[in-house]
Amino acid sequence: MSAEKPKIVCFMCNWVFCDETESAISQEQQIPFDVNVVRLMCIGRIDPVVVLETFERGADGVLLIGCTPPDCHFVEGNLYAERTVKLLKRLLALTDLEPERLELRWSSPIEEVRLIQILTDFAAQMHKLGTSPLAGEGPDEKVLLNVSAAKSAAADFRLRVLTGREKELTENLNVYGEEISQEEFDGLIDDAAKTEFIRQKIYLLARQKPRSVKELAIVFQMKPASVLRHIVDMRRKGMIALDRVEETTPLYKALEVQ
Amino acid sequence: MATNIRMFTKKKLPPCCAACPAHVNVQGYVSLIQRGKFKEAVELIRKDMPFPAICGRVCFSPCEDACARVNLDQAVAIRALKRIVADIEREKGRVKPEPVQKTRIEKVAIIGAGPAGLTAAYELAKLGYPVTVFERMLEPGGMMRYCIPNFRLEKFVVANEIAYIKDIGVEIKTGIEFGKDITLESLRNEGCKAVFVAIGTQLSRKMNVSGEDLEGVIQILEFLRAVSVGQHVDVGERVAVIGGGNSAIDAARTAKRLGAKEAMILYRRTRNEMPALPHEIEAAEREGIKFHFLVAPKRIIGENGKVKAIECLRMRLGEPDASGRRRPIPISFSEHQYEVDSVIPAIGQIPEKSCVPHELLDEKAKEALIPVDEITTETKIEGVFAGGDIVTGPASIIQAVGAGKQAAFSIHRYLSGQDLRAGREEVEETTWVKDWESLRQKSRRYEAPTEKPRLSFEEATRFLEETKRKAMFEAFRCLGCGPCSECLSEIDLCERDKAVVDENLCTGCNICAIVCPVAAIEKNENEVAQVNEDLCKGCGICAAHCPERAITMQRLTDENILTCALTALRRRD
Repeated sequence: MSAEKPKIVCFMCNWVFCDETESAISQEQQIPFDVNVVRLMCIGRIDPVVVLETFERGADGVLLIGCTPPDCHFVEGNLYAERTVKLLKRLLALTDLEPERLELRWSSPIEEVRLIQILTDFAAQMHKLGTSPLAGEGPDEKVLLNVSAAKSAAADFRLRVLTGREKELTENLNVYGEEISQEEFDGLIDDAAKTEFIRQKIYLLARQKPRSVKELAIVFQMKPASVLRHIVDMRRKGMIALDRVEETTPLYKALEVQ
Repeated sequence: MATNIRMFTKKKLPPCCAACPAHVNVQGYVSLIQRGKFKEAVELIRKDMPFPAICGRVCFSPCEDACARVNLDQAVAIRALKRIVADIEREKGRVKPEPVQKTRIEKVAIIGAGPAGLTAAYELAKLGYPVTVFERMLEPGGMMRYCIPNFRLEKFVVANEIAYIKDIGVEIKTGIEFGKDITLESLRNEGCKAVFVAIGTQLSRKMNVSGEDLEGVIQILEFLRAVSVGQHVDVGERVAVIGGGNSAIDAARTAKRLGAKEAMILYRRTRNEMPALPHEIEAAEREGIKFHFLVAPKRIIGENGKVKAIECLRMRLGEPDASGRRRPIPISFSEHQYEVDSVIPAIGQIPEKSCVPHELLDEKAKEALIPVDEITTETKIEGVFAGGDIVTGPASIIQAVGAGKQAAFSIHRYLSGQDLRAGREEVEETTWVKDWESLRQKSRRYEAPTEKPRLSFEEATRFLEETKRKAMFEAFRCLGCGPCSECLSEIDLCERDKAVVDENLCTGCNICAIVCPVAAIEKNENEVAQVNEDLCKGCGICAAHCPERAITMQRLTDENILTCALTALRRRD
């Protein structure tokens, strides 16, 4: 779509990256785009907030490269990354950014050819998707708000606990001796992601100016009753408070300290 | 060479490193090989011992036996990796190291230029001592030079490693015999403050059967020495080698190369009990050497003063003996004969009593081994230390290297007037793996990655480039059992990153402890997560999952990662 080179940030596991990788990447002819590699100790180190913030600041794509399972230096770091990416894709789907802008791929230190292939493929995918609506000087306000909300959701306690415990919960019994299947858990986390995203978005909207339930219901295309339920929860959590009542409509404002 | 010093006192070592008598930093150089840093890997090995190429060829590799990866599939091919990096360095041309400045005035004499003596000399020279090594033979290297045949350990490899030791400033005087040309007395008169006796065991053990003085019975060490200096040894057409150690295999393979039509090895136990390295036994089999197990020589039959045949008894295995192997018991009336032209008994080595000063020996002991203090390697005489085969009886190169290091440490403390027993670290084996079962399941959960070559000893000799890649792949199998910083910060990111918990934010949800791959995080009595710095490898998975974002990494914080990512973005604008 655009003639510009896509802006890609590649987070790479320290154990995949080696001198050969570096020289292969720096050979311009081999790669049709620049790629900037940020090295991490393990791909499991990647914090969802960091990825979302990278998108927020206008990256066209974020590529994560970790060690091919089962070869993680830290046993399951790559599998944790996989769970993080699953959550991130859920959140991205809510933000109007294409989830395809984020990919997790496996490689190993001696497979430069495969690594180059991964990078090239990803660049082609980014070309197809085009420039990110958040890139450049005038980012799309709506998407920006969405991504910021997703970022806050990813930073929030609930989603982080769920991703952190996913392995424990799906592979063992929980404290009540119940077994949770992967599908059940996926549904659970999907639900949680949606809820958290909506609440964080309400919070961000209310921070701009006091909002009413009706107004929010239009933004979210939801029934006012559902929005009200979120509002009630958020008031109890101390995220928002009643600002004033205009005629019969109460307006809510965000509280600074969550 | 990296100047970094270990940032914490290490007590816990990965199993490979703990199993090595010289405690070579295996995990460190393997992780450097993973990154393709071959040169740095050799340098790291040289910090612990001076013989990377020699040990890469002939070490019995206790590290591989200890490797924790066996719980998963197979041990990492550590010895082959060591050989590859050392060979690559030699092929590319070793850079001559700067001689170490002589900062000490106390002269140290070392007797015997074998692995123990050379290692001690090397360690002491690195500390700045003027060291002189005295060697009876014309070339230094001891058993490595004279008794391991060229097809297993090339002479130029030994010469190269010894040249490195000379380069850093060790003086080696050859052709000087201890007890004749020099004595402890004469050394002391010349101003040597400490002496390290590492003369090894230089005589072959006799079988004590009749006919051992016949023509055609060749003692193992004389045989190997003669061949290694290029003398012609007539072994005839049929050769019998008695024994099951590496030198027996070496002798049989050498005899075959000298033109013997048939070489056989007679061993009184079975193949499983053979002390020789498995790949050496396989190589011997490939070369057509015959193995006769459960036979022991009874007498050697001669004709006109020459060997004609060897008469043997069949054996059966009884209860395990002191060495843990099953004791062979002769079966009566099972005599049988093998017609041979020569017999090479390779059943062990004993020290040369005439060389050892009487005052060092224990009069009551059967053999002329020098008794020493197990920790300090001191002998009965002050300022005289001993180590290697002369103390332990015939052992391996790496054990001698370990003894040399131990002695060098003692000599340094002795000459500095410090307590000899102090300052020694106890070694404890550690591996972070919490649960092998889950690790095993994990490897089954995914399809096996692209074909994964196993690096064999033979493969290591093939093409360098191909081997390099394979070496990296092989090194990648290392689980990294020990705490981080094993490669002494050659890998820039690894510079001892660690997790730090903000105690005010921590809610004690325990997620960090669940995700931590190395079990480095535990809740303390205040219900707050606490990081065990000795175990933390700095992966940062806990920081990425902490629900309250209470854990940050010390070096690679989220902010740092973000800054890196954003700089990357801006650069493209």
